[in-house]
Amino acid sequence: MKNKILMFWFIVLIVIVSTILIFVKPTKLGLDLVGGSRLVLEAETTETIAKITPEVMSRLQIAIEQRVNKLGVAETVVQQIGDKRLLVEIPNVTDLKEAKAFIGETAQLEFKKEGKLPDGTPVWISTGLTGRDLTKSTLSTDASGQWVVALEFNADGAKKFADLTKELVGKPMAIFFDGDLISAPNVNEAIYGGHAQISGGNSGFAYDEAERMVNLLNAGALPVPAKIVEENTVGPTLGADSVAKSQKAGAIGLSLVMVFMILYYRAPGVIADIALVIYSLILFALFKTIPVTLTLAGIAGFILSVGMAVDANILIFERTKEELRAGRNLFTAINSGFDRAFTSIFDSNMTTIITCTILYLLGTSVVKGFALTLALGVMVSMFSAITVTKNFMHLVFGTGELKHPALFGLRKDEIGQSYEAVETKREKARFGILD
Amino acid sequence: MINTGRKNLLQIVKFRWLWMACSALLLIPGIIAMIYSSVTYSNHAPMKVGIDYTGGTILQYGLEQKLENSDITKTRNSLQSVGIENPYIQILNVNTEQQNNTESNISSIISIRTKFIDKDSNDQDKITEQLQKDYNNPELISVSSVGPTMGKELFKNSLIALTLAILGIIAYLSFRFRFDYALAAILGLVHDVLFVCGVFSILGLVYNVQIDGLFVTAILTVIGFSVHDTIVVFDRIRENLRYYSKKMSFGEIVDASVNQTLARSINTSITTLITLLALYFFGGVTTRDFVLCMILGILIGTYSSIFFCSMLVDFWNDKKTAVQAA
Repeated sequence: MKNKILMFWFIVLIVIVSTILIFVKPTKLGLDLVGGSRLVLEAETTETIAKITPEVMSRLQIAIEQRVNKLGVAETVVQQIGDKRLLVEIPNVTDLKEAKAFIGETAQLEFKKEGKLPDGTPVWISTGLTGRDLTKSTLSTDASGQWVVALEFNADGAKKFADLTKELVGKPMAIFFDGDLISAPNVNEAIYGGHAQISGGNSGFAYDEAERMVNLLNAGALPVPAKIVEENTVGPTLGADSVAKSQKAGAIGLSLVMVFMILYYRAPGVIADIALVIYSLILFALFKTIPVTLTLAGIAGFILSVGMAVDANILIFERTKEELRAGRNLFTAINSGFDRAFTSIFDSNMTTIITCTILYLLGTSVVKGFALTLALGVMVSMFSAITVTKNFMHLVFGTGELKHPALFGLRKDEIGQSYEAVETKREKARFGILD
Repeated sequence: MINTGRKNLLQIVKFRWLWMACSALLLIPGIIAMIYSSVTYSNHAPMKVGIDYTGGTILQYGLEQKLENSDITKTRNSLQSVGIENPYIQILNVNTEQQNNTESNISSIISIRTKFIDKDSNDQDKITEQLQKDYNNPELISVSSVGPTMGKELFKNSLIALTLAILGIIAYLSFRFRFDYALAAILGLVHDVLFVCGVFSILGLVYNVQIDGLFVTAILTVIGFSVHDTIVVFDRIRENLRYYSKKMSFGEIVDASVNQTLARSINTSITTLITLLALYFFGGVTTRDFVLCMILGILIGTYSSIFFCSMLVDFWNDKKTAVQAA
């Protein structure tokens, strides 16, 4: 009895800790609940970079991270998945189209000069001077008040720029941004000192256009182009709506299960309900502590696990009822009920955990969330059924004979029917059966 | 005799052929639908597959007004007139009662599926503009887009996941039980998965229900549950064999074990179904098919663990004893 009481206080402690954690820690909601965008980018090879090596990927990741950070939203994620893909998550973004364009743009600034194909057609040819030779760029205005992008070259770039302008005096020098010709001014004289300006050509830059280019140049060009191969975007209204609905569904589901347990199992049903509440508290606290990002599928997994969590209780109660029907006293019936139900509970939960592990390892992030919540749910449910329910059953019912069969939903005439299970000595000792 | 706590035993062994026929009756319509679909669909899939596997883009707009079914044709024509090829339109009506406690005033959602919209395409703008002309204030609430190569990969991964899950379960069961029990449990889960896939194949043909990445998740959960249920019954058979194998025939033990676990099998399914039904009726529209898949899986999983798997074990045992006797 003494360790039963110790156990009881241990459970109380866990409940208190869980409750505190629930209040202190924030809930991490997935993008489908807060609204936001999840993009999968795939690196593409170019003429110069024919193979996507890990080194190219890490450069791409850094460049994308810098851009995502410039969007000014908190809790963004940029993560490599597989050999050539990046997962980008941007919560609470207001103008997604803009953000997407910003992230996906290669931002390759190139200076080109005039040249000719063998057949005489004029073309722009590369000079070797690119955005990589810049130290920074700023937004500025020129003498006429037009927006311009001011460039500052590094030492190497400054030299290249000086040589290039010297070579091109009297000729046009073209500035390309991601393959688009921005402007092609005539070079009047060689420019030393490593400073230059890009104006928007005849039409000039709009403020937004110039600002975006400055941001992209400062964030650095992508080493290789990246295209969006998967996108999931959820608007904030739909997200909020989903949260509200899931909460409602969860509350209704949980209460109906609790009512069912009391109606069918009576007194033990009440104990199972308390265990269920404790289960939910522990699980929710775990979600917040780990932390598990709750997605819509994750919440479905959580609610499903509530239904499955009572399964262990049901198995145990059915077994206990059988033992009581056989005329055993309460203490023995509860003990052997638990003990005999345990292998079923363990084996059956193991298969759920096996499938969850596979889902977690192979699934996409949505599936991962579901698998993790379900697996955690199953594990916590084993704890809550085996320790919480068992402990409360012993504390409440004690060791005496069953005086009121109705407490267990049994009829008086059912008690003491023949039961031929012959326990081995070891089992008797384990269940506490006295001959 | 084993005390099963009930007067009228559910007779699994005696009515073996009835339960076999019953399973066949449950599975055959779905199998026919899957064969029909594989023959008629252009991608030869047994079920209607969504963009997760084929690649494509789905744009969803929330509208304040209720939409009629005639709006589908109207919107399709109007989108085609601005050059959107073959848009597939669906309308989801949001239950207004559910709306009371949420802040949004969206009463229906129009979902438009097109081919994959690339970075350089302005199809999304075209669709938004066209809807703004046709309806009051459409609000873009979600975009899902999967590139064509990505779709193939996701499909491959799903198949790998399914195969690994089944192998993992066979391995675990063979380790914990005898191999023939494991095989019966696996046949049970194949039975359940075939049923659920069959129903979704029929739903695809009749209501255009499409399967996506979540469907595979739901199927894997169904697998877990199906085996879970079967194990409880087998565990009882294993236990009863230890105590009664000398006094009772194998068939009697199977019957008694099923009956002893009957209340548990049904009650667990009820509690799980309660939570799933709550999700189905009160939860979000987006996970509805996912939940439906699990509801079907749990119903059939309960049936198969009671009637199908235990019948199989007994059937094999009979065959084995017949061989030994001869």
